[in-house]
Amino acid sequence: MVPIRYNVRNLLVRRTTTMAAALGVGLVVFVLAASLMLNEGLARTLDQSGSADTAIVLRKGSDSEMPSSVEDKAISLIKVAPGVKSSSDGQPLVLGEVVVVLFQDLANGKGKSNATLRGMPLDRVQVFRPEVKIIEGRMAAPGTDEVVVGARVVGRFKGFEIGQSLDLRKARPVKVVGIFEANGSSFESEVWGDIEYVRSAFGREAVVSSVRVKLESPAVFDGFEVAVERDKQLGLEVLAEPDFYRKQSENTSIFIIAMGTLIAVFFSIGAMIGAMITMYGSVAHRKREIGVLRALGFSRSAIMFSFLLESVLLALLGASLGTLASLGMGLVKFSMLNFTTFSEITFQFTATPEIILRSIIFGGVMGVLGGFLPAIRAARTAPIEAMKG
Amino acid sequence: MSEEATSAETSKASAKASDTTTAKRSPIIVCRKIVRSFWRAKERLDVLDELDLEIAEGSFEALMGPSGSGKTTLLNLIAGLDRPTSGTLTVAGTEVSAMGDAALARWRSQTIGFVFQHFNLIPVLTALENVELPLLLTSLGSSERKKRAQIALRVVGLEDRMHHRPQQLSGGQEQRVGIARAIVHDPKIIVADEPTGELDRKSADEVLHLLERLNKEFDKTILMVTHDPAAAERATVLRKLDKGKLL
Repeated sequence: MVPIRYNVRNLLVRRTTTMAAALGVGLVVFVLAASLMLNEGLARTLDQSGSADTAIVLRKGSDSEMPSSVEDKAISLIKVAPGVKSSSDGQPLVLGEVVVVLFQDLANGKGKSNATLRGMPLDRVQVFRPEVKIIEGRMAAPGTDEVVVGARVVGRFKGFEIGQSLDLRKARPVKVVGIFEANGSSFESEVWGDIEYVRSAFGREAVVSSVRVKLESPAVFDGFEVAVERDKQLGLEVLAEPDFYRKQSENTSIFIIAMGTLIAVFFSIGAMIGAMITMYGSVAHRKREIGVLRALGFSRSAIMFSFLLESVLLALLGASLGTLASLGMGLVKFSMLNFTTFSEITFQFTATPEIILRSIIFGGVMGVLGGFLPAIRAARTAPIEAMKG
Repeated sequence: MSEEATSAETSKASAKASDTTTAKRSPIIVCRKIVRSFWRAKERLDVLDELDLEIAEGSFEALMGPSGSGKTTLLNLIAGLDRPTSGTLTVAGTEVSAMGDAALARWRSQTIGFVFQHFNLIPVLTALENVELPLLLTSLGSSERKKRAQIALRVVGLEDRMHHRPQQLSGGQEQRVGIARAIVHDPKIIVADEPTGELDRKSADEVLHLLERLNKEFDKTILMVTHDPAAAERATVLRKLDKGKLL
């Protein structure tokens, strides 16, 4: 086998062309890694919003809380379904919430966007979402026009700072009294207020968007589901909360991955051509060297492997740079429309060891594909080239 | 150089050959009716024309002739870098004219040492690493390879330059590294194509002296193509080639 140091040093000697080709590969890997990190960030944000022992009940056929509508009388029936956990005072742990969209001015003045407003019994927040912490100000008082704002949308929309007010509808202002965190979940992209105030503002009295139910354990979910869905007149659908959030991210996830992959594939064709030109140049420049190696007795396959390896090393250098650059994206917050709820969700690029590995492997594959034809040309070099002047 | 002088030199070298060990030893290179043709446009060009040649084991032979006479072509065939169009070529007991590409590569790695006109060292490798290259095709371990490469560099007097890259060496030193690379795997035959062609007289003499030593002390069969009469003078046999035939 031709020693690897031969390839490494050749790459170092031709450092300008090596870097140019490596950066081409790096750019592609950056795009791919960033889209995978974006998807992971979205999935993680939504996954963290769900708890395995919580079921969510929606109107059958609704793919999100927004278009769903569950009447208050249905909540009474849900409360007596099997498997529902009760609090220490014997009250069933069932929470009706109303979810609506606020079309708000962006704080940067560049138009408007949708924010999610969730109306809920504010005194039950800690029971269902113990991870929620007020990080500034205080919790909104039940039965008032006060709201608290998720940490990720503070500063994103006009009126979302403590002490400011915003209009839910005409002549329906609310005051921001606190900012909360919810363990990085999608709740941090929402505004929370009192359920009755929100229902009244939006004319949705006696209905909620969704009902959350604390179960005795995740194991009783099937029984609860059957009991609630059995009554066809109610027309309800039951989902485990993690499944619900996974479905919420499906469309957006498909969009992110499709866009990322499409861009990466188009870019990769360019980068592979770049790597191929570099390697062809290298083979042409080293024709006599290759002839010498062949004359000394190195086989065609050894030469081919050596040049393929060189191309892969070049690509791996680029892939490492691209992946490293993409890790910097972890510091960036990203807001985009959730294609299921049509409201903004804010999340971060999230790197995982699997994403890093996949990105680097992708770069390596580009090296193999881009280096294949030049490696064949190198392997076809006749040993007699060593004797030419 | 006049024709008479060249002729006299040929006779002198031939005479030298007759009283050396050449006559006593069996041939290591046997060419029988070797033809090597190339096609230029639609015209066939016979660079070697039914050439017969025997070279005895342990001899140091120089091959001279005008440009285009076929000397490098013959050297390439004997070294297993090329195949004849017809005829048989047996080198070190193996009929190389009938071998496949992979087998020929293996055979070259065991039997032939190359000394090139342009030295042909790998520029990104040190002298030691260049010399070690042929040993990478053997089953020797890393430390043994290094040891042997150091010995080869010691033989050519460049032990103190082993960690230098080719561009840090003079032309003469580069060619000596090339010779160390040619002998490190202990081949039976060394083929040298214009080994002094790129060197000044002093460096050329050093290289020729080394080749003489390899022939006499290490019993290497050396076949050298040269235009340099002073180089040819060092050989035990001088052969002249013209228009694809030995004179």
